[in-house]
Amino acid sequence: MSTSQEPGSARQAKIRQAASAKGGPSKVIVGAVVLVLAIVVTVAAVIIADQASTDAATAGGSELPAGAAEMGAGLTAYRDVTLEEGAPTVDIYEDFQCPVCGRFEELFGDTVAALGESGEARIRYHVLTFLDDNLGNDSSTRAANAAMCAADHGAFVDYHAATFAGQPSREGQGWADDELHGFAEESGLEGDALEQWEMCVDEQSHNQYIEAVQEQASRDGVTGTPTVLLDGEPMDLAGMTAADFADAVRGAGE
Amino acid sequence: MTELTEPGAPRQRARALDVLGLLARIALGGVLIVAGALKVGSPAASARAVQAYQLLPFDVAAYVGYALPVVEILIGALLVVGLLTRPAAILGGLLMVAFVIGIASAWARGLSIDCGCFGGGGQIAAADTAYPTEIARDTALALCGVWLAARPRALFSLDRALFGY
Repeated sequence: MSTSQEPGSARQAKIRQAASAKGGPSKVIVGAVVLVLAIVVTVAAVIIADQASTDAATAGGSELPAGAAEMGAGLTAYRDVTLEEGAPTVDIYEDFQCPVCGRFEELFGDTVAALGESGEARIRYHVLTFLDDNLGNDSSTRAANAAMCAADHGAFVDYHAATFAGQPSREGQGWADDELHGFAEESGLEGDALEQWEMCVDEQSHNQYIEAVQEQASRDGVTGTPTVLLDGEPMDLAGMTAADFADAVRGAGE
Repeated sequence: MTELTEPGAPRQRARALDVLGLLARIALGGVLIVAGALKVGSPAASARAVQAYQLLPFDVAAYVGYALPVVEILIGALLVVGLLTRPAAILGGLLMVAFVIGIASAWARGLSIDCGCFGGGGQIAAADTAYPTEIARDTALALCGVWLAARPRALFSLDRALFGY
């Protein structure tokens, strides 16, 4: 500021005054305070997020649903069907709240079912829940758990179909408990089976399995839905018809 | 500091550059705050968005994802109020350079992901990727950072009120 000989504007005077004032804030001190605060806030945020992630992964029960070989593995549908020799494996990654997955089910659901029922392909479902985090609700996790509870009674495929058919008109709206219950009734659960399903849902018996499936999918690089792997290779679904889909799967089995 | 006291045209020019500095601060800082604020409430989604780039080890990527929204908001806030403008601009600019590298690398490796810049992220249809736009935007923001690192002076800044420049 030594260059200033003229009084200049009031603003400049104020600036000079601020700069030359003795005991004014030191830039180093301000910088150090801001840096320390920034580090504290960032570390706290990381610790809180990490704890929340651990809590989510350990909540509820740790039971494997019928049809899942281990924690994190997909759920094999149509288990009572004898597979044809050399039948390919179709791994389907879906989130119940994903509108494009609903569209996939609309277009390819019957074809997938036919391939599974005839034993032409092993169909494995990986039910994901990442949209809960994106949409800020818990419907994917609740619906996934409900579907696994249905799987225990051999009703996964029907529950899965009912849930996609009952997708809300707007993404993010999710489902009320009543709606999830309605899907169970639609999938033919009644009497003791329905009661056991209700208990399973209340206790979130399969929550840790569901969390493990999501974690495994992320580790395997599946970060969007729907993703379909045919014998481990991603299928390009864009522009595909149901007939194309069936041909691709049958072709892989030969 | 000399142009402050010089009369006439140079002073007008300095004033215009100060306005430019303010605009650069608002652009880079504003985008950082918005991007951070949209992600800070869903750290798990942010972690997955970083993991989708498949650049960092899986668990490291999660921690980066947790920290990133907070860091963006902090740097953005410093820029908008004009406190410690130069270091904040350098960090903000480096962040943008890192984003450009990440997006370009995802593009080059044939991944089909959303950049996750403003939430979301993860795999999308190949036709829905927007790599050129995302890279252009982040490059422009990085240039705001370069400008402010070279000339941090700007209108309405806490730096000016506190430290007199």
